Amino acid sequence: MSDFEFETRRARLEPLFESARSLADASTERGKLARERLAASSGLSAQGVDFALHRCLETAPDEREIAQLIRSTPSAQVAHVLLSANVFVAAHRAIAIALSASEQVRVRASRREPEMAELLLAGAPGSFQLVPELSPRSGDRLWAYGSDETMDEVAVALPAGVALHAHGSGFGVAVLDGSHSDSELSALLAALAEDIALFDQRGCLSPRVLLVNAAPAVADELARELAGQLETLEKLVPRGTLTVAELSEIAKFRDTAQFTGEVFEAGLGYVTRSNAGSWLLPPTGRNMHVLSCSDALATLLPYRPLLTSCAVAGAPAVRDAFRRALPGARVCGFGEMQRPPFDGPVDRRDT
Amino acid sequence: MTRSARSDSLHAAVRRFAAGDRARSFAELALEIAEFQREFSAGFARLCAARRASLSNVGDIPGVPCDAFRLARVALHPEAEDRLRFSTSGTTSGARGTHAMRVTETYQELALNFGRAALLSNDRPHHVVALAPRLDDPPSSSLGHMMALFMADFERRAPLEVRTAERWLIDDRGVDLAGLERAAAHAQTRGETLLVLATSFALVGVLDALEGRTLPLPAGAVVMQTGGFKGKSRELEPAELRAQVARSFLISEPQIVSEYGMTELTSQLYEATVPGSALERERRGAPGVYAEPPWLRVVPVDPTTLEPVPSGEIGIARIIDLGNVDSAVAIQTQDRVRRVEGGIVLLGRAAGAPPRGCSLAIEEFMSHVGHQGGGR
Repeated sequence: MSDFEFETRRARLEPLFESARSLADASTERGKLARERLAASSGLSAQGVDFALHRCLETAPDEREIAQLIRSTPSAQVAHVLLSANVFVAAHRAIAIALSASEQVRVRASRREPEMAELLLAGAPGSFQLVPELSPRSGDRLWAYGSDETMDEVAVALPAGVALHAHGSGFGVAVLDGSHSDSELSALLAALAEDIALFDQRGCLSPRVLLVNAAPAVADELARELAGQLETLEKLVPRGTLTVAELSEIAKFRDTAQFTGEVFEAGLGYVTRSNAGSWLLPPTGRNMHVLSCSDALATLLPYRPLLTSCAVAGAPAVRDAFRRALPGARVCGFGEMQRPPFDGPVDRRDT
Repeated sequence: MTRSARSDSLHAAVRRFAAGDRARSFAELALEIAEFQREFSAGFARLCAARRASLSNVGDIPGVPCDAFRLARVALHPEAEDRLRFSTSGTTSGARGTHAMRVTETYQELALNFGRAALLSNDRPHHVVALAPRLDDPPSSSLGHMMALFMADFERRAPLEVRTAERWLIDDRGVDLAGLERAAAHAQTRGETLLVLATSFALVGVLDALEGRTLPLPAGAVVMQTGGFKGKSRELEPAELRAQVARSFLISEPQIVSEYGMTELTSQLYEATVPGSALERERRGAPGVYAEPPWLRVVPVDPTTLEPVPSGEIGIARIIDLGNVDSAVAIQTQDRVRRVEGGIVLLGRAAGAPPRGCSLAIEEFMSHVGHQGGGR
């Protein structure tokens, strides 16, 4: 890529970054409006929206990361973006990738949660187009985010010659390996609780399972402490509104876990425990399963296509091993799961 | 009294209840079985403690979610005492749930008792065939086992070989239409009543194979349909399937009766529609209304609180089945139901939380690892 092209692309991103910065600032009119509108549409509590904007919206991305994002993004005649609901900050990264690919960007926001795209556009008028439907043509590229079902529907309907970058359903995991002092463990679990609570766990990066390389009794204690951390955090950042279907899933999950293992109340959510063997993925809404196992990597391999994010607390060599074995996932530290480097798509499963 | 002795005693009491002995009420038996299970099942004891269940009334018995059967052994006895093991449907063996039974007589008596009441329309001998794959040995499908029981009992010809190809009219090539025609001719010639036991997707297979033609069944024939489609065929609404099957077999719609059962249960529910059947005479149910046997009760509960809903309101089905002495007397399903006059109406499976954005839904996860909920 020539310096000219790089600079051209970089210049297209700046208005978007400026728009995001003004949204993140709760003292500005735009910041206040964003909080109001996002709380109404996302189902998150007001504090949950504020927490997400502060913790996850990139307002000052690292220049090296931006450079990597620009250089790794293929150019397109027209770049189309299909946004999903729930993780509203994701619109920012998705649109940035598209702006890096083309000067013509068309975005179709989630019908249920269109606010973030509208707010970003209001702060960066003319930088992209919001459209009710996407109609890509040969030579265009489409970055699509959402459920696997949506990705399948998009792929089938796409005209020939359109490149699809599909980012479907997934979930995050955390791995606790090695020895840690009590204070280190508390800090790690507090950081993990934040990863869980962000977006009420509805994002594809949200952790749902913690694998612990420890004896069952130790894992029980960790589960209990994690539950306590979640309960404490919930007092600061209350859980938002869940649907009847979500609450029903949680009731079923809780009773199943009660029958098969241990359940610790974690505010309005639950932390469950079992040893290696069959386990159930917790539903969203701040629920976590703690699995004690002797080989976390082997335990995770069957789920590799679904893993978007993997937080590892352990020696650098252990983290490297996970990075090699899970190339589609963002491997990071506890507390970093919901804010991956701004160097490209949210996960590495680009297909 | 030892666990085994208490189990045997409870099984005997349930069988007496099913035979009409009301010395002990449904509630008394249900609570006694629940207490027995709380004592010998650590999982159920935890569930009771968490729900603060006093086990003082039937509505207070917590339901064991069906998923528990896929994640753990739901049996009070060790595997060495298993006499039957039924597996839930699934795509990988590791993901299947198991309902283990140490006493088979209770299953047999309960299934036959209510099956006869629901399916037999007259006193004549019956000829019974199944639109299902041939029964494996030992049987792992509770549905297949039940079909074989009906064949052996309803034909009144002992001993009867129930594993012959003439009885099971689905194989790798699909539906054996010629076999069904032979069965119809056999029943006609001998003056027997034909009973066709079928899964819903097998009936769709028959309709597709017939391509609009008819395959007349003898007068008085009865078709029992059960189960969903599980992605094995195109799907039809129940009323539409019933109408099309009636047209294709040249029988009346009431001669097609739906059964509701699941691997995790010992007992079954039926529509009370078969003309002349004991169940129809007693309850005269409408199509779509499933009658419970006296030893089973469906409690519609709120999907979020799991508390019973007022009568007539929609809830998800908690099923109290006295036959489940050695597993879980109360099963919590995700099937939406409403209580009406004469039984319950099934309103389909409660959808899991639909995928919202990119978070992985439980159903997608289950699908990836090979779990398939419910089924037999």
